[in-house]
Amino acid sequence: MSNEQQAAVSLYKQTLIAGLWRENPVFRLLLGMCPTLAVTAAVKPALTMGLSVIFVLFCSNIVVSLMRNFLKPHLRILMFTLTIAAFVTIADLFLRAFVPRMSETLGPYVPLIIVNCIIICRAEACASKNTLTVSIIDALAMGAGFTLALCVLSAVREILSTGAIWEIPILPAAFVPWAAMRMPVGAFITLGLMLGLVNAATKKRKTK
Amino acid sequence: MLKIKYFIQQSWLLIISSFFFGLLIAIANAAWAPRIQQNKIDKLNRLMTGLLSNASHFRMETTLEIVSLKQKKIKTDIYKAISDANTCVGWAFICDGPGFADKIELVVAVDEKFKNFSGYDVLASNETPGFGDQIKLPYYRNQFKAAPVDKFGLAKTGDAEKIDSEIVAITGATVSSEAVVKIINNFLPQIKDQMLKEGLIGNVK
Repeated sequence: MSNEQQAAVSLYKQTLIAGLWRENPVFRLLLGMCPTLAVTAAVKPALTMGLSVIFVLFCSNIVVSLMRNFLKPHLRILMFTLTIAAFVTIADLFLRAFVPRMSETLGPYVPLIIVNCIIICRAEACASKNTLTVSIIDALAMGAGFTLALCVLSAVREILSTGAIWEIPILPAAFVPWAAMRMPVGAFITLGLMLGLVNAATKKRKTK
Repeated sequence: MLKIKYFIQQSWLLIISSFFFGLLIAIANAAWAPRIQQNKIDKLNRLMTGLLSNASHFRMETTLEIVSLKQKKIKTDIYKAISDANTCVGWAFICDGPGFADKIELVVAVDEKFKNFSGYDVLASNETPGFGDQIKLPYYRNQFKAAPVDKFGLAKTGDAEKIDSEIVAITGATVSSEAVVKIINNFLPQIKDQMLKEGLIGNVK
């Protein structure tokens, strides 16, 4: 493997790890907090939101990366928003056509992906400055990192608020559901505890 | 000429992208719109059946012209609920109006004589989750059930379980609660008057 190839592979690896852990949009950068708090009452809507974000991020990063050499600096945010809005509209139409119940459950949070900072952040920080391959890896890694974080949060909340996960009961019938976990307060508490855990784990690693 | 050249130089990518994305959305919409429409019809049937459980099927009886809350003339279909014995057991129709965040679409059902309210359900709304979207919950909707078809009023406090024309607003979502009451108050008298004129009610067989 030549030095250039080795450098490229190393860059891809770093991009992948950054999205999944080092720069995880939810746990490390605290981006996209609106859907993180709003749709994590159960795993199914959280996963659907995560997959929708992956689709939009993937498509918008490809388009932005392809047009990066033609972008006028003063028009770039407008171009990013236009690109993101187009793919979010398509994702919204798809959900309304094929998973109408889920589309209703997610409500306005699917159209709100347009203003999700993760997507515009990746377009600005990565896709507009990097090659197509790096942009695609970044989109998949960041999207997967976001989806993973949403799924972890929603799993904790769903188990504690219903005693089930993916609507399959896992806790004994004697378990008294914590109604608060289904409400916004549950989202804030779970996210706070998760952030604390992630910070503690990172600090421990740095100390070692 | 120079100005036009400068304008094109600066914005050609934006113009091309707008056309391209517009086309992409139009294609997606054309491909999925029938399916979305069918989903909406299925949901309407499901909600109507939920509100008028005695009905075995629904038949679109007429289309009426209503003046909306925005003072625009809109058309709404009136569905007749028919039982197994082939008798009319109620009426259902779609009402809409502005909510807190977006348009609220309701399915409203009344009894066969248009005297008592059978209830309403939400066909589409984008009200704030956790607050305004509580208009979908039974504890608010049940206040309308069996209430006389009259002008509903909204109260901030009161007994929500008492069946009358006074509806107790949802705490933290007064605008959405008020929107539902306003929509129903706007549609009911207009539909009732027109149905009486058309002879659809008042002499129910």
